[in-house]
Amino acid sequence: MIVSTEALTKRYGEFSALDGCSLEVRAGEIFGLLGPNGAGKTTLLRLLLGYLTPTSGRATVAGYDCATQSLEVRGSTAYLPGEARLFRRMDGRAVIAFFAGLRRECRRDVAVQVAYRLGLDCTRQVARMSTGMRQKLALAVVLATDVPLVILDEPTANLDPTARSTVLDLAREARAEGRTVIFSSHVLSEVEETCDRVTILRAGRVVHGQSIEDLRRGHRIHARLADAFPGVPAALAGRLTATAGADGRIVLETEEPLGPLFGWLATLPLAEVRVEPVGLQAVYDRFHSPAARSA
Amino acid sequence: MTDVRGGAVWSPAVWRKTWGDQRVLVLALAALWGAFPWIYLWLSAQIAMPAFQNVLLQVIPEDWQKLSGVPFSEVATYAGRVALAFVDPVVVLAATVFGITRGSDAVSGQLERGTMEMVLSAPIRRTAVFLTQAAATIVAAAALSGVLLASVWTAVAFGPWAGKVEPWRFVPAAANVFGLMVCMAGIAACVSAADSHRWRTIGIMCGFYVTAILAKLVGRLSGTLGWVGYLSVLNAYEPQQLVGGGAAAWRLLVWYDCILLGLGLAAYLVGAVIFARRDLPAPL
Repeated sequence: MIVSTEALTKRYGEFSALDGCSLEVRAGEIFGLLGPNGAGKTTLLRLLLGYLTPTSGRATVAGYDCATQSLEVRGSTAYLPGEARLFRRMDGRAVIAFFAGLRRECRRDVAVQVAYRLGLDCTRQVARMSTGMRQKLALAVVLATDVPLVILDEPTANLDPTARSTVLDLAREARAEGRTVIFSSHVLSEVEETCDRVTILRAGRVVHGQSIEDLRRGHRIHARLADAFPGVPAALAGRLTATAGADGRIVLETEEPLGPLFGWLATLPLAEVRVEPVGLQAVYDRFHSPAARSA
Repeated sequence: MTDVRGGAVWSPAVWRKTWGDQRVLVLALAALWGAFPWIYLWLSAQIAMPAFQNVLLQVIPEDWQKLSGVPFSEVATYAGRVALAFVDPVVVLAATVFGITRGSDAVSGQLERGTMEMVLSAPIRRTAVFLTQAAATIVAAAALSGVLLASVWTAVAFGPWAGKVEPWRFVPAAANVFGLMVCMAGIAACVSAADSHRWRTIGIMCGFYVTAILAKLVGRLSGTLGWVGYLSVLNAYEPQQLVGGGAAAWRLLVWYDCILLGLGLAAYLVGAVIFARRDLPAPL
């Protein structure tokens, strides 16, 4: 595990920004971090980097304790803040040169290449760049840093669709090089498309963790029956959940192969049927839909 | 994986960046202080010495002498009149503004702008960032004091009062200006290290400065509250007392600058400890 947290907690008085967070990130994966604003994602990342001191619990990155060995942790990490802000008086080349001078892992030539791939004009002064251009410049610096762990906090915010796609490609390339990427985002489709595993936070707590592979196995079947629903047969019990609604409507959810299920479905008096992957949105909504929040 | 450069308390990249950040301020003050002594001496020379002595020694009430910090008889000399340049608002306020501007930018300024985030994501100690910036500020203060001294020296040596006063006797006064700049910068940096908003840091420092002026005035003017003056850091900024020449002026300078530089450097060290230990909130 390249990142490990044990009951990591950060409190500000009575308010818990992060509450007993325990998670593990495997080396070489893209790990998605999901949750609405205020869920604790950024607090978790800042604790990992040693910007904040935990109230209790422990976190390690590459075997180094985040609270007491922050220098070593940051030597193993490249971090893109949620809203990257750079030095307004410098131009893009000067910013890249600054970070290349600050740490030898930041490769100047690679940063220029990444900036070029993102379509950024590095000769422009940061003060004259749009928010998206500044984000691209920060991404170029971060992704050009040769370290085992790359932390991207909302990396595609403010970017145009082409640049978003390039950023996702760059994250996959980082994984292909054996690096680990922590990808915090609000854009579920990007996370589903890019990440290997996801963790969902709610009100400072980890409420769900799942691999995308498992997620893709999950399907939801919406059907309307011309007759009464006879119930799930014993042979399929435990392999799916069925929710009966009004007008003969039923919703079936399963993470099992669909073959045996279709055989049983064919015996039902179907008036309508629609099969769809469960998807990350549905999983996310279990914890963050208005109904889930009020539960 | 740890970058060995990060283990040091010095960062060449931060050093270069800090000089870039303070370049405009330093150049503007250098231009101001390069020109001011010439203008000041030219204006002063428009009032002949006998007329100046007449006003100072006979018209102004003797009680007002308390405010000058030195006897009027010493002010009413060529050296005394040049020395007044060092207590002119152009010098005192500029030195204070330099100290507060640079000091307040050390932490809270960069946290507010959000630029500290990515700098500290590199394997560099917070103390290295803080102390490297402090060193750049102190060197800039020394350079500006040098510019002021050079300008005073040339204005005295080649200006309207050429030959009437020894130019070198103003070295202690310029060194006292340097002490004031470092003191204000250090205290501002210390406040900045604990703060997250630059405007608040500047506000606190303005309050501190006004309080120091008032304490100095109360100490000077009140017989019973004379001790209040010792609470003011500005009690150690008395360049007009340092132009007498000789060993006495240097001894006094050592005393004054020990206070100013000592306070400034101590504040920098305390600030470094605060910055190293504090939580860094996300920029707003």
